[in-house]
Amino acid sequence: MKKLLKACIVDDDSIYRFTMVKTLESTQLPMDITAFSDGEEVLDFIVANLDKDSELPDVIFLDIDMPVMDGFQFMDAYLKIKDEVVKNITIYMVSSSLDPVDIAKAHKISAISDYIVKPVGSVRLKSIIEALLSEKKEAS
Amino acid sequence: MSIAKNNSDSQEQYQKIFIEQASTAMAMVDNNMCYIAASQSWIKDYGLEGKEIIGRSHYDIFPEIGDDWKAMHKRCLNGATDICEETMFQRADGSIQWIYWDVRPWFITENKIGGILMHTGDITRQKEKELERTRIEKILDKTNTIARIGTWEVDLITNTVFWSKIVREIHEVPNDYQPTLKASENFYEERVSRTRFINTVKDALIHGTPFDLELEIITAKGNPTWVRVVGQPELVDGQYSRLFGIIQDINKVTQSEKALNKAHSELQAIFNSEALAIITTDKNGIINRFNHGAEVLLGYSTAEVVGQKRPGMYLFREEIIKFKNDMAKIYGKDPSTFDHYVDIPEEDLNDTREWTYRRKDGSKVPVLSNITAIKNGKNKNQGFIAVSNDISEIKKVENELLKKNELLNFAEQISLIGNWQWDTLIDKVQWSQNLYRTFELDQETIELKFDTYFSFVHPEDKEIVTQHFAKAANEKRFDSITHRIVTTTGKLKTIQLLGKVIANEKGEIIEMIGTCQDVTEIKMAEKKFKGLLESAPDAMVIVNEKGKIQLINKQSEKLFGYTPEELFDQSVEILIPTRFTPKHTAHRDGFFHSPKTREMGEGKELYGLKKNGEEIPIQISLSPLHTEEGLLVSAAIRDITKQKLAEHKLIEAKDNLEVVAQKLSDQNRQLADFTHITSHNLRAPVANLNSLLEIYNYTEGEAERKDLFNKFETVIQHLTLTLNTLVEALKTKISDSSEDLEDVDLNQVLKNTKEILSGETLKSGAIITSDFSKISNIRYNKIYLESIFLNLVGNSIKYKSDERKPEILISSFIEDGKVVLKFSDNGLGIDLERHGHKLFGLNKVFHRHPDAKGVGLFLTKTQIEAMGGAISAASEVNVGTTFTINFN
Repeated sequence: MKKLLKACIVDDDSIYRFTMVKTLESTQLPMDITAFSDGEEVLDFIVANLDKDSELPDVIFLDIDMPVMDGFQFMDAYLKIKDEVVKNITIYMVSSSLDPVDIAKAHKISAISDYIVKPVGSVRLKSIIEALLSEKKEAS
Repeated sequence: MSIAKNNSDSQEQYQKIFIEQASTAMAMVDNNMCYIAASQSWIKDYGLEGKEIIGRSHYDIFPEIGDDWKAMHKRCLNGATDICEETMFQRADGSIQWIYWDVRPWFITENKIGGILMHTGDITRQKEKELERTRIEKILDKTNTIARIGTWEVDLITNTVFWSKIVREIHEVPNDYQPTLKASENFYEERVSRTRFINTVKDALIHGTPFDLELEIITAKGNPTWVRVVGQPELVDGQYSRLFGIIQDINKVTQSEKALNKAHSELQAIFNSEALAIITTDKNGIINRFNHGAEVLLGYSTAEVVGQKRPGMYLFREEIIKFKNDMAKIYGKDPSTFDHYVDIPEEDLNDTREWTYRRKDGSKVPVLSNITAIKNGKNKNQGFIAVSNDISEIKKVENELLKKNELLNFAEQISLIGNWQWDTLIDKVQWSQNLYRTFELDQETIELKFDTYFSFVHPEDKEIVTQHFAKAANEKRFDSITHRIVTTTGKLKTIQLLGKVIANEKGEIIEMIGTCQDVTEIKMAEKKFKGLLESAPDAMVIVNEKGKIQLINKQSEKLFGYTPEELFDQSVEILIPTRFTPKHTAHRDGFFHSPKTREMGEGKELYGLKKNGEEIPIQISLSPLHTEEGLLVSAAIRDITKQKLAEHKLIEAKDNLEVVAQKLSDQNRQLADFTHITSHNLRAPVANLNSLLEIYNYTEGEAERKDLFNKFETVIQHLTLTLNTLVEALKTKISDSSEDLEDVDLNQVLKNTKEILSGETLKSGAIITSDFSKISNIRYNKIYLESIFLNLVGNSIKYKSDERKPEILISSFIEDGKVVLKFSDNGLGIDLERHGHKLFGLNKVFHRHPDAKGVGLFLTKTQIEAMGGAISAASEVNVGTTFTINFN
């Protein structure tokens, strides 16, 4: 159980969520995948589990363009509570936007590990998850 | 012969002895006038003691003997006898001797003359006494007459009275008047003089007292006169019985005495005065008088000087030499040895000149000194008197005068002014030095006439000069005239004459005087100034302190359409529209109060008024001009009509640019919107399709593949909708907003909307109310307006609050001249702080509502903006939202 990577997908697009889950499953790596449809939902979840290491995700794939709370609004809110979060969560910003404004804005936030343009290929996803898993192994 | 010779020899010998023993002055000379013998008296009388004279020529011993005497001697040698009772003989040493002589030949034989015998006597002493007596007699004679002294005598024994002629004259009685004692008493003034006289006479006769009284008599003619009566009683047989004396008319004496006294005291005053230094020398050149004035002037005391010093102590050697040279020249003496104490014993030296005296303290003082020879009674110079005046003050004044004259000369030179005087009666003209310079005329030229001046007048100006002087003579007033002259060297100059006509009491002109200034350069400067003025690119108007126009240039003529004559001395306000006049007058006064170069009416629009009444926009800069005529202001005026036009064009262009910029930035924003749309709304479904395709490729189960197809369908439908919306929006953007305009009735549009939404309305129970009372009809694209109504009313129902029935109010009104349409609801509301920026974006949804697609507001905004309007929103979460549309 210890080797299980908790991956979290945040996107309002149900088709995208479906393809992400399918692609992640296809890697056959030990993962526990959860999904939220906007920033507010995932923020509420984190706030509810601030000190529960086992409940908190290891990695979040965060969309920009979402109703209610978009990716950037989520980041603003998350950074305010980050110190209280017991787990160091790796966050990838995932968007279909090639708009340089969006890319530059994402890179300015140090808590964001990288900006990934949709569609996210299975090869890319697999290497990200493997890297995270090996990190996790070392840490434990 | 030998006896004869012996005879004659012995006779000569005898005579010689006789002569040598003579008690009177006698001398015997031979035919050659050489001495054979001379008596002791001769030697003594002629001062020849100790001199060997025998055998020497008489003429060698008396070189002063003149030709007349030599001729006389010659006659005597030929047998004549010359006897002279008395004559004056001036000796070589300058002394005078009075002599008598007897000159006769002596004979060797009866017919042969051996020489002459001279017998002379020195009668100088007798002669002097005689001369003195004569002089005293003469003086007495004169004094008697002048002093009017008469003699009188009273004999008490015979009881007779004698009056001399002058006594009778004094009493103004006829010459044959016989006075008596009583009568003579009665001439005295009765109150005082008569009593005194009677008492005095009585006293004299008793005691023998002589008397000397001054008394008043009344003459026979009734004139009161003062007389001096001197009396001496005479003792006759032990009795004072006779009185004699003189009587003097002292009216006249008193007067002349007074005059004498006055002269004396004046002389004394002069001698004692401090102002005059009087110094006299004796015949040896030693100072013997040194008055108080001399003490004051030179600082020596009389005691230090008199009898000890010579004038050389206070004189400078050079001046003494100069004086001696001058005197030697006058008297024909040798200057190298000249001594005025020796060489001019009788000459009346009288010299007045300036000397520099050296004071005791060594300082110098300039004096004016008169030196006169002092004569003794024998007309011999006894020394000199120097009367000197301290002229340092005069010198100072003189120097000052010189300096002032020089200054005046300088001033005239600098200002190029000269002065002139024309005596019109004798046509004599006088010029100051500077005028000669101006006309370049040799200053030696003294004979100046009017024609001298007139000959210099430039030929073209002769006419006006003639007229000018004629006018001056006529009106007795000399106005200023400026004309050209040609100087002696041919230079052309311009001069200005100012003058005054002077007339005598009869009103006849006797003189004209005035100044003459070389104004060539001023004229040149004036010409240059005018040239400058004319060449200025701006219109120039020069105004004096009273605001009167003095000068304008060609540009001004062109700009305002006036001629210079029309504007000269006109108020400058003639060039300004009347509505500005009051303010301008005040500003003008202000400028003269503190004149400095500045722009006029800065920041304000200024206008000039042309002769034809047309107004022109102008720009004016003012600068003060300090001139001889006072302060002037030069105004440079620029017609800025063209600038104004250009300015207008500029403003227009700017406005246009602003519109274009606005459009551009609108388009930019729209472009940004489209970037966003392509990035998110188009690429997202495409990315989904790619991902689905990848999954499809490794999915093997039929059921799963079917599920994937459903998903493909969803994505494709979504993509199609997005593309359609975009097409719609693009169509809206590129369509001409002015097309499809029609008069739209808002009530009609709302009615259509309600019909379309009747299902939703019914289901939600929404209440839709409207107020189009303010404005119900607008010109608009009807399809857009229906779409706007449908979207906004539809949104209000779609995002209704679950807690209350939706209430929707639509109203129209006019604000700032624009039609405004308002949609208010009581729905969910939107958190505008979070979502305001993407409220009208494509596919933006703010609620987790199953039907939210994010298309409606995007399209609505696109449509409104395409028609030139604007939409904004105000909202409070869970209270409601109001959309406000401003139609253009």
